[in-house]
Amino acid sequence: MKAALTIDALEVNFGGFKAVDRMTTVIDDGELRVILGPNGAGKTTLMDLVSGKTASTGGKVHLYGREITNWPEHLIAREGVGRKFQIPSIFRDLTVLQNLEVAVSQEPRVFRNLRLGMAAADRKRIDEVIDLTGLEPVLETIAGDLSHGQMQWLELGMLITQQSRVILLDEPTAGMTQGETSKTADIILRLKGSHTIIVVEHDMAFVRKIAEKVTVMHMGKLLAEGPIKAIEADPAVREAYLGTGGLH
Amino acid sequence: MSNKAFLLGDRAVYIAFIVIVLGLPLLISDVFWLNRVARYLVFGMLGIAMALSWGYAGILNLGQGLFFGIGAYMVAMSLKLQSWTSLQQGSDTPVPDFMLWNAQPGAPTDLCCIVPGSWLWIPFQAQWFGIFMAIALPVIVALIIGVTIFRLRVSGVYVAIITLALVLLTRLIFIDAQPITNGFNGLTDLGWLTIGGVEFDPLMIETYYIVAVSVCIVLLLTRWLVSTRAGLILQSTRDDANRARYLGYDVASYQIFFFTVSAAIAGFAGLLFVIVSEFATPTYFDIAFSISMVVWAAVGGRSSLIGAAIGAILINTIEATVSESEMFQQAWRLIIGVLFVLIVLYMPRGLAGLARDILTRLVSLGRTKNPDAANASRNPAE
Repeated sequence: MKAALTIDALEVNFGGFKAVDRMTTVIDDGELRVILGPNGAGKTTLMDLVSGKTASTGGKVHLYGREITNWPEHLIAREGVGRKFQIPSIFRDLTVLQNLEVAVSQEPRVFRNLRLGMAAADRKRIDEVIDLTGLEPVLETIAGDLSHGQMQWLELGMLITQQSRVILLDEPTAGMTQGETSKTADIILRLKGSHTIIVVEHDMAFVRKIAEKVTVMHMGKLLAEGPIKAIEADPAVREAYLGTGGLH
Repeated sequence: MSNKAFLLGDRAVYIAFIVIVLGLPLLISDVFWLNRVARYLVFGMLGIAMALSWGYAGILNLGQGLFFGIGAYMVAMSLKLQSWTSLQQGSDTPVPDFMLWNAQPGAPTDLCCIVPGSWLWIPFQAQWFGIFMAIALPVIVALIIGVTIFRLRVSGVYVAIITLALVLLTRLIFIDAQPITNGFNGLTDLGWLTIGGVEFDPLMIETYYIVAVSVCIVLLLTRWLVSTRAGLILQSTRDDANRARYLGYDVASYQIFFFTVSAAIAGFAGLLFVIVSEFATPTYFDIAFSISMVVWAAVGGRSSLIGAAIGAILINTIEATVSESEMFQQAWRLIIGVLFVLIVLYMPRGLAGLARDILTRLVSLGRTKNPDAANASRNPAE
């Protein structure tokens, strides 16, 4: 299978502290990968390094064979990496529909965007995303007035509208009710196959529902990688989670 | 549904504004008042520039007077050279009177070398050059400032501080370069704008129309600009610059573009102001003037172009009316200050927001049993 994202000995040094330390993993095209790890394991920092928010101090990131290490955020995004943040990051003063319209970003340049209306193909894609995320009833609502769950789905919807090839999801179910979590799992499962998805998550019930292959990080390093069943039985993983009560 | 009503209401306000602005000479026969109104319309244009940068781009520019002042000085230089005061200095070519007062004894009475730096005035003998520079120089300066600060991702209050410092710096430079700018006194006794042999006396109806038509065109063009996709993306960078970056947009290029457009509008306003007021002074670079623009936009509604324009015109009209009375003249600044604080605290969307709320209330009254209407109509796109 073709590799979508190759993380090769990536590391970042924050004044002597290596938040991510020679981390290596390969994520295949169309794969759904879950990244686990205790607090401070470097999961979010890894996302920051891949998406360009933080500059790495060593190692390489390849996206479909092209090196994107330390590119500016918007160029990495144009190359096909979409990112969802832990705290919903949406355009709060715009309507839900306008949020999605901004996300159709096939043409990023200022002068080419000095036009009214949008292409039929873009309109169609927005409609598909509205369908997938169930945001239809709130299209004209100001995004800042949405419920927490709806904000999360809107942000997810924006990544899909953006046509990201690789989607990074940082705790997509944080703060969600059980019903909302279950709906989020459904959305993610429907994306499986057409998108490559990397999820950082703590909620094990949710992880068991969506996960195939799991990567466990500990102290910035790769600790274990494999199917969810094997990982849960791994003594090294249990050791890492000791004191936090193990995986549960 | 009520969105449609809102759009209709919005369009009605634009049409009403344009009809009133263009029809005003039919109602006001006093040319002095018409000239005053023309000045307030220019301030309305500054309100539009402010709403574009503050309301739409989220860039609080506390130094908008910089661009206004540069625009004003550029065209004033040309008009000064056309003035009779520049033609009576015993030279074949025009030389501003104040340069003669500042010249060393025995200096040649010519723009090339009467005072150090006076050669900068030479191209301004052509009126079109002054008019061109009134827009071009603000654009160039805005590009330099914009590229520097937005590429470095300076935002929020830091932009306000930098722009504030720059306008003060410019004020110092213009006062300090007294031999070529006439310092504190500024450029006075200007000639009239002359196009195709027609002289535009500031008190003529035709001059009023130059301003009125310009304001309407700028209003409609800016309105078009913010309704484009680029305008929508700009608003998204205001709400969450990081999110916009992760969607693939180079946020700085949007900020630079709209900051520069706002500067061009301010420069154009400076040009028009000189045509109707016949002077350019360093007071245009005063902090108080730039802050006033912020107040106008806040009162009118910074997220509404026409709201900010109406806010500017309204405040200036009221100010002119109350300043006839000695007592009010003293209290006016206090009143404006308190008004600004109250509006920022309790009416952050200004008069435009108030008008929209009233319209929404009316629509939902007319269509009861639709609780969503009030919510759905809060559409920020003006």
